Amino acid sequence: MRTATTAAARRRTRNLVLAAIAGVGVAVWVFPVLWGLLTSFKTERDVLAYPPAVFFTPTLANYREVLFGASSILPNLWSSFVVATAATALTMLFAIPAAYALGRLRYPYKRASGFYVLVTQMLPPVGLIIPYYLVLQKIGALDTYVGLAVIYLTFALPFAIWLMVSYFEDVPLEMEEAALLDRAGRMRALWHVILPQVRGGIAVTTIFVFLNAWNEFLFAVVLGGNRVRTVTVAMFNFISVEQTQWAKVAAGAMLAMLPVILIGIFAQRHIVKGLTVGAVKGGGRR
Amino acid sequence: MTAAARPARSLAAQERRFALALLAPALVVLLLTTTAPLVYLAWTSLNRIDLAMPWLSGFAGVDNYAKMGSDPRFWNSLLLTAVYTASTVVLQVILGLSLALLVLQIPRGQGALRIAAILPIVLAPVVVGLFWRTLVLAPDFGLVDMTTRALGLGSHNWLGDPQLALISVIAIHTWQWTPFAFLVLLASLATLPPDVYEAARLDRASAWQRFVHITLPLLRPAIVMVVILRTMTALSAFAAIFAATGGGPGSATEILNLYAYRTSFTELNLGYGSSLAVVLLAITLAISFLMFRLRRAR
Repeated sequence: MRTATTAAARRRTRNLVLAAIAGVGVAVWVFPVLWGLLTSFKTERDVLAYPPAVFFTPTLANYREVLFGASSILPNLWSSFVVATAATALTMLFAIPAAYALGRLRYPYKRASGFYVLVTQMLPPVGLIIPYYLVLQKIGALDTYVGLAVIYLTFALPFAIWLMVSYFEDVPLEMEEAALLDRAGRMRALWHVILPQVRGGIAVTTIFVFLNAWNEFLFAVVLGGNRVRTVTVAMFNFISVEQTQWAKVAAGAMLAMLPVILIGIFAQRHIVKGLTVGAVKGGGRR
Repeated sequence: MTAAARPARSLAAQERRFALALLAPALVVLLLTTTAPLVYLAWTSLNRIDLAMPWLSGFAGVDNYAKMGSDPRFWNSLLLTAVYTASTVVLQVILGLSLALLVLQIPRGQGALRIAAILPIVLAPVVVGLFWRTLVLAPDFGLVDMTTRALGLGSHNWLGDPQLALISVIAIHTWQWTPFAFLVLLASLATLPPDVYEAARLDRASAWQRFVHITLPLLRPAIVMVVILRTMTALSAFAAIFAATGGGPGSATEILNLYAYRTSFTELNLGYGSSLAVVLLAITLAISFLMFRLRRAR
């Protein structure tokens, strides 16, 4: 009787300790972001208070300044939206047919073409930025939406192809065969039978490509300019050599990251799959 | 005539044509946006292209590559790349695995943990870098500095001191990407067969023995995959460091990515920048081929 209660008590303590350690881990991830949220509602004076002000009069002045002030990020949010949407649409247009071929059809040099797509996914962006800059400069496409959206294909397309392949592979083979026996042409089978089966995969891939394009910084800062200035570049609006306007930086960051945070929570079940897919395919079965 | 009655060979030929038609547009795009730029990069790396002194531009042979040998900043950036990549990958795997093992023992609340873990992953690295530079690491007012001051450890210039700056950028990268290792390893741990553990428990294997002899071997593919992906991310790391330190102070956090960028777009020496980019690409590809080979050898 006594031993049973002590064992139960010990288990309870153990669970508590475990939960506490895990809680610290989570706090480390969440706290900086929550702190940023809190800071975005402080006046610049409250930000610099020590000890930090836990109770303060919240203000919306930072958001007002960031949205409607002299260095408003509204045009930048628009730039990001246009570039990310265009890049995503282009990417999906090329990725879906290619992924279907790679995942489902038999053709010569299939392994080699899959491997080529995988290799292009691994190229570090800094390694490619110089030719992009020189070429876009030569054809007058620096600081244009088209230039940036097309360049975004370099990292978005290989990723989207491999993610879509994994969804095409999950479609039962019989569905396809039945559709072909039904005298439907291949194109019609793909459009009417296969694509509806991978709707979910298309949605997830679209979300991921958009997220990556929205967050991109290097290409945007080098290949953009005054006209096409994405929100990741505009984060530096409130930082200068003389002074950093902390609360404004925090408010701008919150606005810029709101879409991706919502996407992250909304698509959380798919995040792990989206992040691992390239390596699983490339190193595994193929 | 039904499809089944058609000769098998023409059906295969038809499939082949269809596959190529679907694949060709994407392959052409990739050729134009990745492979052609690489060829062009190889060419520019053999030229002197100095936007600050354009009259000096011209073919330079292997001059740019020869210059690297005696360029201390290049060797420093290589060393920093190795330190940065190795330390962030090791930290992420160890911390991610420990946390995943812990969380598996907790009966409830895993869902909340998963959402918390996704938060850093979806943030733009440039925003993460700025956040740390201002709210977390700034002297006097940053979270970390307030903590060390409260603990009596004093105030430090976390991004201004060369050694601390390197530790800081490693911490930033680890903060952002450990959740990835955690989520993947947690998912793999959940798929391990419970009966093996039951048998081991009956054999009175200790928790440590169970970990070393059962969990680790079963988890190996997942760990290898995490290492490969994390290495690739670390090798292309740019925005977070750019935002937090810009590669400085001096060149204390100037990994090869930052050095190639600064050479090209701050010092406007695109020729030498190109040769640095070629080295970066060669290293990345060599490491990924090596890792995939190791993985296949299993």
